[in-house]
Amino acid sequence: MRIHIRLARSGANSQITSYDLPPAAEAGISAKSWEGASVSTALQYLQRAVDPRLAYVLSCRRGLCNVCAARIDGKVQTACTTPLHDGIVIEPARDSLLLRDTVVELSLVRKARIGASTPLPRVD
Amino acid sequence: MDLWDVIVVGAGAAGLAAARHAREQGASVLVVNKGLVGRTGATITSGGGVSVAGSTLIALGLEADPADTEEVFIRDMLKSGYYLNDQRLVESIVSGIGEELGYLIRRGVRPRISKRAPGHSSGRGVGIPGPDMQKAMTSAALDAGAQFREDFFSAGLLQNDGAVAGVAGLDRRTGEIEAIPARAVVIASGGTTSNWRLRTAPEELTGDGHAMALDAGAELIEMEMLQFLPCCLVAPEIWRGIQFPWTIGPQAGVRAWLLNKYGERFLARWDPERMELATRDVVSAASAAEVYEGRGSPNGGVYLSWAHLPRDILDNFPSWSKGYKDWRYQGFDMTPLVERIREGHAIEVAPAAHFSLGGIRVDVHGDTGVPGLYACGEATGGVHGGNRLSGNAGSQVLVQGRQAGLAAARAAQSNKAGAPAQNWDALKEQIEAPFQRERGVAPVEVKQRLTAIAENALGPVRTGKAMTAALEEVRDIRRNVLPRLASRNRDPRYNRDWSDALECAAGVPVLEAALISAIGRSGSIGAHQRRDIPGVKAPLEHSIVRRQNGELAWRAQPVEFPIFAPAA
Repeated sequence: MRIHIRLARSGANSQITSYDLPPAAEAGISAKSWEGASVSTALQYLQRAVDPRLAYVLSCRRGLCNVCAARIDGKVQTACTTPLHDGIVIEPARDSLLLRDTVVELSLVRKARIGASTPLPRVD
Repeated sequence: MDLWDVIVVGAGAAGLAAARHAREQGASVLVVNKGLVGRTGATITSGGGVSVAGSTLIALGLEADPADTEEVFIRDMLKSGYYLNDQRLVESIVSGIGEELGYLIRRGVRPRISKRAPGHSSGRGVGIPGPDMQKAMTSAALDAGAQFREDFFSAGLLQNDGAVAGVAGLDRRTGEIEAIPARAVVIASGGTTSNWRLRTAPEELTGDGHAMALDAGAELIEMEMLQFLPCCLVAPEIWRGIQFPWTIGPQAGVRAWLLNKYGERFLARWDPERMELATRDVVSAASAAEVYEGRGSPNGGVYLSWAHLPRDILDNFPSWSKGYKDWRYQGFDMTPLVERIREGHAIEVAPAAHFSLGGIRVDVHGDTGVPGLYACGEATGGVHGGNRLSGNAGSQVLVQGRQAGLAAARAAQSNKAGAPAQNWDALKEQIEAPFQRERGVAPVEVKQRLTAIAENALGPVRTGKAMTAALEEVRDIRRNVLPRLASRNRDPRYNRDWSDALECAAGVPVLEAALISAIGRSGSIGAHQRRDIPGVKAPLEHSIVRRQNGELAWRAQPVEFPIFAPAA
């Protein structure tokens, strides 16, 4: 399965990177096929096995907390509840909220937060 | 650097209740949270609501059964907990929940009173969906003037001559390691279920607060007691740990059958009267025993089948046909699963790690016994004894949150000067080590090993052999692997390997404490069920773990019965 992720490591220079996922049985995930797995599982796999720098967030794994929200095939959805398919395109939910890779600013308490303004980190 | 009166670690309902109450006493309050406040933590995933005695509900102007007194509620909790509960904690929660629920109602939360929650002798379940509860508690803490640090991984407690003097941790966004001084600290970091492979709770519940408390000198209690929720999905991967089959089956009173691979209704051997409608600890243990004895399904579960029932039974059940519009369950469309059930297929299900019954030992004020250190909510242990009834976690987190917040505010007042941390350099080095290490073991591999160990040795049914082997492996990881954890990523910001390493450092003592507690019990009680010595009952003793000369030490302590003694 081939998936495409727009990784935002350096602000405006974010670009689509394509990954070929190995057969699910060889990937060490608890699924027989990638079709039965979520976008979050693919991000976890890629960070673990392919690109340790990949940033992602995941909490409830059931579409309630929304921390994993991303633009998937053009539509903002929770990565944990969206199943993978060949050719899927994963992007940050909104560029203006971008923090790193697919992670965006979704704080609910920004007005009462200490150290609230964290700029997009730059990587050499 | 600011000196806070009170730092609260964690921002679920317990932590936010503590923050609000401490703030209302005039304390300056900082809530530090590993993820985003109002989103992460287990509160948002809870569906049970809050349990309240009928007499308390009536006093709040709600309709309820007047015969359901606080005493009846306490008895229900003790009975379901196998009388292993700390009875003073139980009494404090039962008598304190009315005030907290009243506050939520005044803030506009609309409770739904359930007729009869499972295991409760009366209709005392007040339904508040997890997201509603999380939202109300977040805005309450905000309105009270609490301040927040997000994406801050608390990894150690600052101390001065044994007294807690703040929190040390990692800002996951910037990669900076920081010490945040405080006069008192409340741990509200939730349970430890993320150390199990199949689980219902969110990713971040790795027991970071437990590890910090142990290091600071606090005790853990009943760490081997883990509640499993039966009939959760095991496949496909995207649905793992989702409780949907339970909610349209046994939980709703629908007579779906649990079958092993031979098609036997194995609950006949456990509870021939109630069968699949037995309490969730019994259904979990029975299901796990089938898998353990080789009669499970291909994905490590058992089968839940509606095939003997009318094909359309799922369509004619008002209790969920209203609740589940178009078969939406939480963020998922479960229509494909319902279609399979209608076609007569059985669904593979297994018990999933759901709630930590054990945790940091506290008194009714959330006091850990370590000066300046308080704890509340699922991070604490002893409230529920050997099993928990639905909705009782909601009551626990609200009342314990208040108690700990009030006590921490009082402690801050009598500690005006604050104290410099003596262990900051050591903590900083410890937090930084996995990032600094150039070569070693990838933390995520260790995380996977730990969850496999927990699944094999600390499931709903257990054996002495598996637990002993697991303890050896965990100790080996502590001695030989933790000191070699290394981030493969040289960028300190949003560094998943680094935070994984810190989570491993918490998971190891959590599992070691659970294993020595489990091995220390000489038989079965509540959530700790020994498959290899069936019928051997454990005495009514608390299982206590603390750190002594660097090693975890276990001891048993007889349970006290200040309110009700179990029937002889």
